Amino acid sequence: MNTLAQTTENALILLFTGDPELWNIIAISFSVSLRAMLFATPVALVLAFLLAYGRIPGRRIVISIMHTLLAIPPVVVGLTVYLFLSRNGPLGDLRLLFTQTAMIIGQMVLCIPILLAMGHAAFQGADRRAWETALTLGAAPWRAMFTVMHEVRFGLLAAIVAAFGRIITEVGSSMMVGGNILHYTRNIPTAIALETSKGEFAQGIALGIVLLLLAMILNFALTVVQGKGVITA
Amino acid sequence: MAKGTCPNVDHGPMPSEGRFHMGTASLTWYSKNLTKPFTGFARPLANVLFIAAAMFPGIPGYADNTTLRLATTTSVDNSGLLPTLIPEFERESGYQVHVIAVGTGKAIQLLRNGDVDVVIVHAREQEDKLIADGYGVDRHDVMHNDFIIVGPMNDPAGIAGLTAAVDALQRIADSQSLFVSRGDESGTHAREKQLWGLAQINPAGTWYRATGQGMGETLQIAGELDAYTLVDRGTWLAYRQKSPLTVVVQGDERLLNYYGIIAGNPAKYPDINYQGATRLIQWITSAPAQRLIGNFTIDGEPLFVPELISR
Amino acid sequence: MMDQARRPLLRYHELEKRFSGDLLFEIPEFSLHGGDCIVLSGRNGTGKTTLLKILAGLIAPDKGWVECGGKRYSWPKAKDHCRRNVIYLHQQPYMFDRSVAANIDFGMRLAGVPAPARRRRTDEVLAWGGLEYLAGRNARVLSCGEKQRVALARAKVLSPKALLLDEPTASMDKEACEKAYFLIKRLQSEGIAIVIAAHEPQAIRRIANRLLQLDAGKLIDQTVLKVSDHDDAPRECFRE
Repeated sequence: MNTLAQTTENALILLFTGDPELWNIIAISFSVSLRAMLFATPVALVLAFLLAYGRIPGRRIVISIMHTLLAIPPVVVGLTVYLFLSRNGPLGDLRLLFTQTAMIIGQMVLCIPILLAMGHAAFQGADRRAWETALTLGAAPWRAMFTVMHEVRFGLLAAIVAAFGRIITEVGSSMMVGGNILHYTRNIPTAIALETSKGEFAQGIALGIVLLLLAMILNFALTVVQGKGVITA
Repeated sequence: MAKGTCPNVDHGPMPSEGRFHMGTASLTWYSKNLTKPFTGFARPLANVLFIAAAMFPGIPGYADNTTLRLATTTSVDNSGLLPTLIPEFERESGYQVHVIAVGTGKAIQLLRNGDVDVVIVHAREQEDKLIADGYGVDRHDVMHNDFIIVGPMNDPAGIAGLTAAVDALQRIADSQSLFVSRGDESGTHAREKQLWGLAQINPAGTWYRATGQGMGETLQIAGELDAYTLVDRGTWLAYRQKSPLTVVVQGDERLLNYYGIIAGNPAKYPDINYQGATRLIQWITSAPAQRLIGNFTIDGEPLFVPELISR
Repeated sequence: MMDQARRPLLRYHELEKRFSGDLLFEIPEFSLHGGDCIVLSGRNGTGKTTLLKILAGLIAPDKGWVECGGKRYSWPKAKDHCRRNVIYLHQQPYMFDRSVAANIDFGMRLAGVPAPARRRRTDEVLAWGGLEYLAGRNARVLSCGEKQRVALARAKVLSPKALLLDEPTASMDKEACEKAYFLIKRLQSEGIAIVIAAHEPQAIRRIANRLLQLDAGKLIDQTVLKVSDHDDAPRECFRE
């Protein structure tokens, strides 16, 4: 049996010798999660803005639902998306099950509540005068919305980082709707699950290190950017 | 056009990229068909999702003719057999095979739902039911190996060297020795339940632990707990160096483990890749593929016995 | 020229605003002329801010229509014409989280003014407001007086027809007040209609040519009370 130190050593060797299998998995992970963010972020942030600034009926209910969805386990999202995309499901004819698109959909469902909840909080923290000032200086409503977004950019950035952190690490949904297909839907978390089940702990640890490094880089970047905001504000 | 049919179905593998690109025809087909089960708000939602998916040419909008979806039991994939076989098949046939490694129970469910095109599984009763229900066709035996019972070195139930699996289980139950079960409706689990049934024991109590996980995890858990468990020989050979357990019972005819390949029924789901499934079945039962199976070894030990050629 | 001066820039008709059913105010007619300097007084809670925001097109009244350039517009169409012509300044003007120069640049950029012209006009208006030394500073860190002057410059650069100021000097010291009023007077002399809401009108009476009071939902013209020190200068300065 491998010891922890040995396993970590092997993991680092795998990582830095550029093991192609490993890097392929890492690339899939990023490609899928970044695309999920790309689709989800604009929609979610605009919705968050409308929730904060618009007079939307049932707004409180929507917000409560979003906060509830923050706690939903990825595997439940996976199961739900699976039932939708399965042949006998309502979207079965699209034949999206076990594709990257299915993973993207699952991850979007997972990250939208975070983007909405944290985005909404950020917009609520914004000064309503920002919106009115932009309008009175000639901004069209959509333009004024971007101005307000710019004013609360650090809060929104934190939301984006948190959402990305959730979906790049989730295993339940990706496993269920992606199928863990090698070179196609096998991403970092599903690969960790598989390698662990095969007893290949080195691979699992190597991928875990990638996730840790990523989290570290993102958080440092965020701190640096936000640090600037604090100094000038 | 009938619901659930695809305009470009079954004309053999398409050349070149083999990815789905959205065309006007597909769009029309889509808007006619997809939205049928859906009215109201879900309709535009589905539209958005579909178009978003099609915006990326690298992603198939849905499984196309060159992609074959194979759901299989984990033992065939994790042991390394499929990673050896599949590239050969892909090279010869031009198909791209997406391997979804799950338990036999789930693999059969996927075929039943039309979510995959073909399965390789090992639970004869469930297979027969699948075929009887009309969801599976063209079943062929592919290969077999055997199950074994592994357990701790000190052998608390005193079953080492037995060949009769049912006797062994009886003794495990009598001595209340720890036994770890897959408990996940996999082929291995199905066989285990069948053996308990033959022993006329309803396994329950603190000595019987169901993990609900795959074979690898279950072996690991059994290793940590110093427990007995039933395992297919392929997985065992792949894991044994990492396991503190040892083989205690083997060689019973009731432990033989047959793997079969079954295609989805195109009469149930017209747009599944039946042609690709047929191609895979033909290939895997052909002499060269059978030879590959027979020659597949781990640490010099063959894992599977091909069904259709003598070794 | 006098004809033009008499013709209002904007005329609001039958404005009515309610809050959860209760009437806040009801104003049959209100006009803004070039060079006007109107002081709008009234106790807290009479709806001065709400009225200014309606005039600026930022909130909709429950009833009302607007006459602009000889045409009649009803809400929500009217708000576009209000926004195009009128700029509203909050009691404490909001500064975007960017430099003073970028704050001033904001509206011109939206209007599609080309970059060289934007730079030139930003420099001009910074000099006009005595703000050159602040150009590169983040506008958030300024004092109240500086913010008010940046806000005036930010408005002036867009050449609005009217400027609505909500309690502009409420939290400023005397010197900052003087500086702000100096700029407001200059804007007025350039032909921009000024409306200043203040619950204590004494301090700014001297620059006003109309005194209005919002009281119990009615807009009362009190200009007559000020006849003694009435000064026609602003109107004479108006050219267009």
